[in-house]
Amino acid sequence: MRHGSDKQPRHFSAPGDAPRVIDQGSVWILVAAPSIWAAHFLLSYWVAAIWCAKTGPMASLFEPRWIIVALGLICTALIAWLGVIAVRRYGGVFVIFEEITDSSERGRDRFIGHVALLLCVLSVVAIGFTVIPGLVFATC
Amino acid sequence: MRRGILLIIPALLAGCDGRHNWLASAGAEAQRVEELFWVLLLGAAVIWSLVIGAAVYAHRRQVDPSLETQARRFILWGGAVFPTVVVGALLVWGLVILRDITSDEGDLTVRVDGERWWWRVIYETPEGDVVTANEIRLPVDRTALFRLTADDVIHSFWVPALGGKMDMIPGRETTLALTPIQTGNWGGLCAEYCGGAHALMRFDAIVMEQDAFDTWLAAEAEAAQVAGDDRGFEIFQEEGCGACHTIRGTDAQGPVGPDLTHLAAREKLGAGIYDMTPETMARWITDTHEMKPDIDMPPYPDLQGDRLDRLVAFLMSLD
Ligand code: HEC
Ligand SMILES: [Cu+2]
Repeated sequence: MRHGSDKQPRHFSAPGDAPRVIDQGSVWILVAAPSIWAAHFLLSYWVAAIWCAKTGPMASLFEPRWIIVALGLICTALIAWLGVIAVRRYGGVFVIFEEITDSSERGRDRFIGHVALLLCVLSVVAIGFTVIPGLVFATC
Repeated sequence: MRRGILLIIPALLAGCDGRHNWLASAGAEAQRVEELFWVLLLGAAVIWSLVIGAAVYAHRRQVDPSLETQARRFILWGGAVFPTVVVGALLVWGLVILRDITSDEGDLTVRVDGERWWWRVIYETPEGDVVTANEIRLPVDRTALFRLTADDVIHSFWVPALGGKMDMIPGRETTLALTPIQTGNWGGLCAEYCGGAHALMRFDAIVMEQDAFDTWLAAEAEAAQVAGDDRGFEIFQEEGCGACHTIRGTDAQGPVGPDLTHLAAREKLGAGIYDMTPETMARWITDTHEMKPDIDMPPYPDLQGDRLDRLVAFLMSLD
């Protein structure tokens, strides 16, 4: 396991140990969860728009409703996986009791992990708020 | 500054009573929104008091580091989880209301066409369309489905006491369902700026018992009773009024302005802005643009004396 109290030096020379996009120290994990939410938002609109255009303005949204829910579940799962990475690789915790002030790799990682975790929660809530209108409304 | 705000308050509150009051519970749809409004207001008041109370309390108290964990937990639950749940619940509630009040079915259908700056109103009945203008009467406890469109620019159809509002868009049809639950004369207005006389684009929304409504609608459906040699009607035609206005049952079939077949049966003149009296009617004809600026009807300042009196008497007889 690569998570530990101290950061391993980064060497990707060994074959099979290719760099991962979201790895310890990478800030990509911060934008990943909100991006998934944005993608879900956009896709939901597309699904509804295409459905309404193809079946007439008063068509039942029964189908897109479940498509949006399914997309929501997939995105939530993706974000949950990101959350796991934030905890495992970055050592992120949900509630921080002391300030993270030390200028060390370890400190920066923990900070990124913490922020990533919070963003994951926020994104899941946001996806929920996108799914709810889809569930409530049955018309275009 | 403070004084200014205090001065504004009575003016704002003045908008809160009477026939344009959206808190009057005069319509089933408005009532649903009203419930949500009061819960929001009350809830916000309670939460605001608690937060401010907590802030004052925290300010007064000595810092106690041993409570750090508790405090953080309190922030997590009170500052993150609680608001999320509350906002989520309100979202669901609001959406359900929205879904319930946007219906495309009604016990009667009324088409309303927004024009600058008046309303063309058409009741769909089994016997055919009944055309009228500038006044909308509705039976109480029945859902009226409004099919809305506009002739020139975007208008917006709003009867605050009953519910709404809904935009009227040229080339498109929007619908709005309203179910009045209180009889009375509720004010309606255009809620989308549409040019010069926008603020004078109003109408009466009169909610009546079903019987009275049926009688009224039957009367509206009738053609006007105009004698062939009615001097007033001759003047109406000589002046060219009939080129713009329709009086059903006569040669006057103009499509430009409001239908005048039962003009005098309306309570207001000029799209809900003046009382329907011979005096206002005479001024409407001679000083048209003083009465309502910019409108498409030309003034007739030279129409005076006996001719004017006869024309006005004729118009006032159209009930
Ligand atoms: C060029 C077309 C035109 C002519 C000609 C014209 N009108 Fe009008 N008239 C209108 C329009 C448009 C309105 C609606 C104005 C508004 O409220 O914005 C109107 C409104 C009215 C109204 C008010 C209707 C209501 O529902 O309150 C009356 C009454 C009226 N006209 C009478 C006359 C008489 C009488 C004449 C002839 C002396 C006349 N009009 C000539 C276009 C015309
Ligand atoms: Cu308007």
